[in-house]
Amino acid sequence: MDTTKTTGGGPKPAFWILLVLCVLGLIGFAGYKGGWFEFLAPEGKKDDIAKIDADELAKLQAGAAKADAEAPDGNAPTTVKEYNFVPSAKLPPVEGTASYKPLQKGVVRFAINVWAGWAPIVFANDGFQPGKEWTAADGKKFKVELVLIDDPVAMRDSYAAGNVHIGWATLDMVPLFLEELRKDSRVMPRVFQQIDWSNGGDGIVGRGVENIGDLRGKTVVLAQNSPSHYFLLNALINAGVQPAEVNFKFTADAFQAAAAFNADKNISAVVSWAPDIYNLADVKGNKLLVTTQTANKLIADVWFARADFAKDNMPILEGIVRGIFDAMVALKDDANKQKVASLLGKGYSIQPSEALAMLGDAHWTNYAENREFFMNQNNPANFERTWETAYYLYKKIGQVAQKTAFDQVMDFSLIQKLGKDEKYASQKDEYTVTFTPRAVSAIKAESGEILTKTVVIHFFPNSSEIDKVIEVQEGEKTVKKPYDPNVGFVLEEIGKLAAQYGASRIIIEGHTDASMKGQVPDSAVKDLSTQRANAVKEALVNKYKTLQPNQFTAAGMGWDVPADDNDAGNHAKNRRVEVKVYPLEAQ
Amino acid sequence: MTQGKNPLAGFFSGFFKIRDEPTIFGRVFMAALCLAGIAALWWYVTRGETAADRIVSPYALGSPAEVFGSFPSLWFDRALTRNLAVSLWRVLQGFGLAVLVGVPIGILCGAFKRVDAFFAPISIFGRNVPVVALVPLALLWFGTGEAPKIGFLFIACVAFVLFDASRAVGDVASDYLDTAYTLGASRWQTLLKVVIPLAMPDIFNSIRLLFGLAFGYIIVAEALDMDSGIGVLIMQSQRRGPREHVYLILLFITVVAFVLDRVLYFVQRRLFPYRYGRG
Repeated sequence: MDTTKTTGGGPKPAFWILLVLCVLGLIGFAGYKGGWFEFLAPEGKKDDIAKIDADELAKLQAGAAKADAEAPDGNAPTTVKEYNFVPSAKLPPVEGTASYKPLQKGVVRFAINVWAGWAPIVFANDGFQPGKEWTAADGKKFKVELVLIDDPVAMRDSYAAGNVHIGWATLDMVPLFLEELRKDSRVMPRVFQQIDWSNGGDGIVGRGVENIGDLRGKTVVLAQNSPSHYFLLNALINAGVQPAEVNFKFTADAFQAAAAFNADKNISAVVSWAPDIYNLADVKGNKLLVTTQTANKLIADVWFARADFAKDNMPILEGIVRGIFDAMVALKDDANKQKVASLLGKGYSIQPSEALAMLGDAHWTNYAENREFFMNQNNPANFERTWETAYYLYKKIGQVAQKTAFDQVMDFSLIQKLGKDEKYASQKDEYTVTFTPRAVSAIKAESGEILTKTVVIHFFPNSSEIDKVIEVQEGEKTVKKPYDPNVGFVLEEIGKLAAQYGASRIIIEGHTDASMKGQVPDSAVKDLSTQRANAVKEALVNKYKTLQPNQFTAAGMGWDVPADDNDAGNHAKNRRVEVKVYPLEAQ
Repeated sequence: MTQGKNPLAGFFSGFFKIRDEPTIFGRVFMAALCLAGIAALWWYVTRGETAADRIVSPYALGSPAEVFGSFPSLWFDRALTRNLAVSLWRVLQGFGLAVLVGVPIGILCGAFKRVDAFFAPISIFGRNVPVVALVPLALLWFGTGEAPKIGFLFIACVAFVLFDASRAVGDVASDYLDTAYTLGASRWQTLLKVVIPLAMPDIFNSIRLLFGLAFGYIIVAEALDMDSGIGVLIMQSQRRGPREHVYLILLFITVVAFVLDRVLYFVQRRLFPYRYGRG
């Protein structure tokens, strides 16, 4: 070591550290003063959370559902009205040569995740490995390999690379996938079949909150861009809470959301999966706010094939659709349930008993339910409305850029074709809840509400006609016009809510303003508001044949409950209808 | 160094001379050639208007124009620099804590073999545990917010810092100790005046390299609660696009990490002139 130069001569080491710090400091200061800080380190656009307006959504959907732009008629009785377009005419054409990996030894690779909904295909395939021979519609034989890819992003990328031919998703996730998949017509998804509705598998657990409306101003933890996200946003807007009023904490997946909720007592709610939600709900002070057992037609699991694969292999896809439907029928048998539990246990590396318990998280959707989902335009919980809702919500919080129409991904041609087969055509919708009529007081006494949705229907003074037509002078002519042209949209909103929360009891409360207080007897006003609530109920069940009258209970509240205690004299605010959602039975 | 009249001639004549050092321009030229080659290949496999015309699907890799064209939105709309600053600040805190704890203990371990034996289990565990598996645990231990990210970085790095510091102390040649004792230095004087200064350059060097490791871990740590940071930008770009941003962010991180490394190296050379000379 040369010790002659350690003193004097060169600067001390500390000088160099100071020099670096000074240079950085000066750059920072110059940037700050000079205003090009905004250029160097712009604040960025926060995901623009726009105000969500349920009316707007209803208008979008009512508009989407109607090719002809007539004013929505709240009371026109409608039955099942099926789409009359040909899917192939709407689906985007596939350009270029197919880019999926060719079938090795006739094996179709089908991606699945850890979820009860896949039990039918696991059963049909006798496990995950390719072995069992399936028959395509043209009589050719093929095999299926079920590839477990639990992470949706990894699944999407594997699907886009052509390593798997078929992907899994909840329908609400597909718009998010499309942001990237749209770039290549060959990887555009084609949705052929609904596998299940989540039925108790997803839920929201609260801490120190009683219902969804209480989440205003609170912190909720969940997995971003997942079914949890969709579930929560949908519940919030129905409860009249803007997403901007809630502090979202995002984790990578639903398991971590549950862990974070457990670890951090400042978080008021978590959206997660079974069994975590049930374990968390058992903790003292926590409450299960809602699960998909109540919101039983909200989260739809589907599978989709690559457009290029579908173009080349329709007979195979038909074979898969049939196989899955047949397995659903076979799984009604307990011995088969035991068998599929052991197959799932093997594939998912869990105990068969766990797999058996998991089966209750989903309701497999049979042929009749698929037909309702894909083809019935008037089903308030159909493919199109689920799609529109997901797009609307994700667009509002800045998660999707451009919109793809539902008929660019939905291919009901196989569902339509199977309808010619008596075996499927004779199937019945098995997912209906039988409601017994019940009084308002009994429903309210049983458990707290899940959420309250406030809508406004303008009734003609002293009338309970929901579609009251009035005569207006327009220049020379007298024109007949509906008193409230928005009624159709409001009914659409309530109908969709009732369908999504298919296993809930819904109380429709009519409220009036207090402008005539002291001039007319209370009882007369109560009667009027009861008639109005009943009119809404009648109009609903007439408009949507899939809804049962007994799901709804009408109540007249008169002027007793102002909309806003701090603004009790606001007549316009007080003339309203409140739709309260209650669990079917105390959870 | 080839001292030809014509630098080009020197560049070519020395091309296949074993261990011939090119001039700085020669080096830059070769590096530029490499980048140009990559760019040309990239352009070639992604040329074409539609997905069908391309060798590589735009889903997997956009064309250079598409990728760099999305840079303004990444820089301005998604606040690349601010998110990077947030991530760097986290790394500094977590890694800084690991240095504050790891270096002193490491020095003690290097100097006193019984202390070393005491900390051995922790050091072995910390260096061999699969770090990614710690992510969900960090949530359980530290809750949400900044604490789990900083805690995770600390846990992921501290054992390496400790081990490297201990090794640096152990590597100081015995001659120095003997000389110090011969000159009448006490044990503490020897440790403070001889061993630590001699070990410091190595310790600093390993800290510089480990900082790069910590910078890589931050992306994993930010999955814990996705509010801000470069890791969140990557994850969101993977989830909902645009994929172009993933490539851009990775390029950007590489450049930043390289620059940081060079700055630290510059400081390191100035800090320990007795090791690196006065370059």
